[in-house]
Amino acid sequence: MPASDEALLATGIAKTYGATCALRDARLALRRGRVHALLGENGAGKSTLVKILVGAVTPDSGRLELGGVPAAFGSVTQAIRAGIVPIHQHLSLFPELSVHENLSAFALSGGGGLWAGRRLVDPSRARGWLAEVGLEVDLAAPLGTLSLGERQLVEVARALSLDCRVLVLDEPTAALNAGEADRLFAVVRRLCANGTAALFISHRFDEIEALADDVTVLRDGRTVIDAAPIGRHSRETLTHAMLGAGVEAGPERLCARAEPVLAGRGFAGRGDTDITVHAGEIVGLAGLIGSGALALAAWLAGAQAGAGELSVAGHGFTPGDRRRAAALGIAYVPADRHVEGLFAPLSARRNVSISALGRFARLGWLRTSEEAERIDPLLRRLKLHPSRPEAEAATFSGGNQQKLLIARCLALPGLKAMVLLEPTRGVDVAARGVIHDAIREAAASGVAVLVATSDLDELMVLAHRYLVVRDNRLAAELPQDAPRAALLSALSGSIAA
Amino acid sequence: MMSKRLPGRPSSLRLPRPPAVALVCLGLFLLCCLFVPRFASFGNLENVLRVAAILCIVACGQAIVIILGGIEFSFGASVALASVVTVMALPAAGPIAGLAAGGATVIGVGAVNGWLVGRMGLPPVIATLGTLMIASGTAAWLVGGLPLDAPPSAAFSWPARGRVLGIPVPILAAMLACVVLHGLLAYGRIGRLWYHVGANPLAARLAGIDVARIILLGYAAAGAFCAVGAIILTSRVASGQPALAPNLPFETIAACAIGGLPLSGGRGHVLQVVFGVLTVAMLNNAVVLINLPVAWQLVLLGLAVLAAVGLQKDWAALKRLAGRATR
Repeated sequence: MPASDEALLATGIAKTYGATCALRDARLALRRGRVHALLGENGAGKSTLVKILVGAVTPDSGRLELGGVPAAFGSVTQAIRAGIVPIHQHLSLFPELSVHENLSAFALSGGGGLWAGRRLVDPSRARGWLAEVGLEVDLAAPLGTLSLGERQLVEVARALSLDCRVLVLDEPTAALNAGEADRLFAVVRRLCANGTAALFISHRFDEIEALADDVTVLRDGRTVIDAAPIGRHSRETLTHAMLGAGVEAGPERLCARAEPVLAGRGFAGRGDTDITVHAGEIVGLAGLIGSGALALAAWLAGAQAGAGELSVAGHGFTPGDRRRAAALGIAYVPADRHVEGLFAPLSARRNVSISALGRFARLGWLRTSEEAERIDPLLRRLKLHPSRPEAEAATFSGGNQQKLLIARCLALPGLKAMVLLEPTRGVDVAARGVIHDAIREAAASGVAVLVATSDLDELMVLAHRYLVVRDNRLAAELPQDAPRAALLSALSGSIAA
Repeated sequence: MMSKRLPGRPSSLRLPRPPAVALVCLGLFLLCCLFVPRFASFGNLENVLRVAAILCIVACGQAIVIILGGIEFSFGASVALASVVTVMALPAAGPIAGLAAGGATVIGVGAVNGWLVGRMGLPPVIATLGTLMIASGTAAWLVGGLPLDAPPSAAFSWPARGRVLGIPVPILAAMLACVVLHGLLAYGRIGRLWYHVGANPLAARLAGIDVARIILLGYAAAGAFCAVGAIILTSRVASGQPALAPNLPFETIAACAIGGLPLSGGRGHVLQVVFGVLTVAMLNNAVVLINLPVAWQLVLLGLAVLAAVGLQKDWAALKRLAGRATR
């Protein structure tokens, strides 16, 4: 590779945390003007490598060069000054401040101490940055009034206030809908055309194929595919490189439809939303962000109050009465693992057994040995790693934390239906396979399953039929063998792709 | 190569390793033995334990509330109200029923707190501050501002001065309280749910738990522990005092904090409470024996809380650094 177009080169990067070896020998070479995808399952060392690049973590060994010059960053601020600008999946802006103040944050972060906050960059420069990312908003508008997609573009615009040489996009689309993501991609491409290098981290192959020029794959702390042009590898070879193992097959066909189990009618006060999930069936609920798909699923599980009638196996319950719904056998995995699902300071086993405490209790006292006997096999079946049921949930990786929520569903006494929201969001490929298998097994044993996800790949490998939600109502029903294009056009409404 | 220590931390019920507060407590004990005159006498140590006993019983209640992610400020006021109720009920009801009425008052205040926090969704600080003022004001109003003496009787003074098998009743009661709390936390269904609600109330609701009920029962149980402390304290002072134990909530919170219970909830072990209480009681005792003004007790306690919480933070960071250095 000619040195002239080399933007960033990291070689021989290693990093250990206590007994855990996060990176052994990682290499990453970014070139100017190109979007570089970084792939790897959770635990492969992806996020550690990114943290090292943006100056949040210091490597144990290895070399970092920026534009051919050796570099070392003691802090995120230093890395940003050097031109490595992170765009975070959790937005790092200030919603209470104006767009103008947010754009000024980098330019003015040097000196001035407490009083720096009152100063702003020249409005014409700020407008120029906004124009460059194609955003037309009032500089004085509070950032909080902008949509998530617009906020992310403001973050990119802010990067322009510096001499941005490497843009680090860490799952930037996690909170965006398809339109907003396209807009972000267009901006990234435009910036790259001006010579910026972009590092793009995502779990979604669609996006990677749409945006990236090159790809690097990490597995087990090592670079296994090094800066290859993306066209040279198929999804299968990339997945194989990430996993070092086989790839998941599609869903089996459902022979006959059994009796209805989970039923809901009149979501959001509309008479026309009538939804039924049958025993043994996996229904995929698809919808763009803001379509109401997640809210509809949460409502069906009794997790969200509102109008309408709900029932499971013939027993009615009130929307929002999650306790009754759980007692009737509806398990639920909320969309936001950390906020709504996990008990971070409690052990893995306790995170699971909460749904089945009644099983282990006699007159209000728990039989903890029986609890371990019943819960631990479930954790082994889901390949919890490390296999330590007593360890705190907070110490596990995202994929393994998600396994705990799935196990909690499977442990529910009298399980009749499972409602799963984004069951594998931010989860690595291996854990994703395990979770999908568990969902299929549950369905095969007669549980009615509803999966609401914004991940089309996931729907296509899981669902026996698809329900498409638009504008808080069911817009379409598609059979298992519906082509991807049909699903996409149903999702976006009349504007078919 | 796996190192001897596997990754991952122990679960909430196991003690943090090393139990920092136990070492601090032991160190303080040795210091006091060496440098504080008359500290290491049998009489004084029994006195320390006697003072620690009441604090320990009430701190057990505070620990429940802290595990729930809350905080309880009304203990002192409800103990004062209990002493007043007890002494006013004595002539008509006799010592046993009188003390029981006082205890019931404290449980009632706890249940009201639980209802305010759980069902009404008030922040614990505000809810318990409100009941603190109401209970305190009611106690002062009932006695007209002056302490009310109780007629002496053997049954009435038994909780504070009695002995069973040679052991003072308050110390026995504290040991019993610790055993009960440990049983509840480790083996009780309700105790388990306190951890869950403290760790993530929203997740608990979505898992099908009646969060408001768990919180209500938690504050009521905390009130029950405090009620035992109130009975012993009322028996000891043999009077109804509207300003009986104004620092009790702060001392119990301090004991829990020194013991290492995070105020964010979801964690805690009874031994942490015990060592935290012993540390507080020894500090208070040493201040008196060194002939410092009693007001210094609060100053030292405040410093100890800040130091303990600060050190716990730093130790975690130091441990991480040490872990990195050894690899």
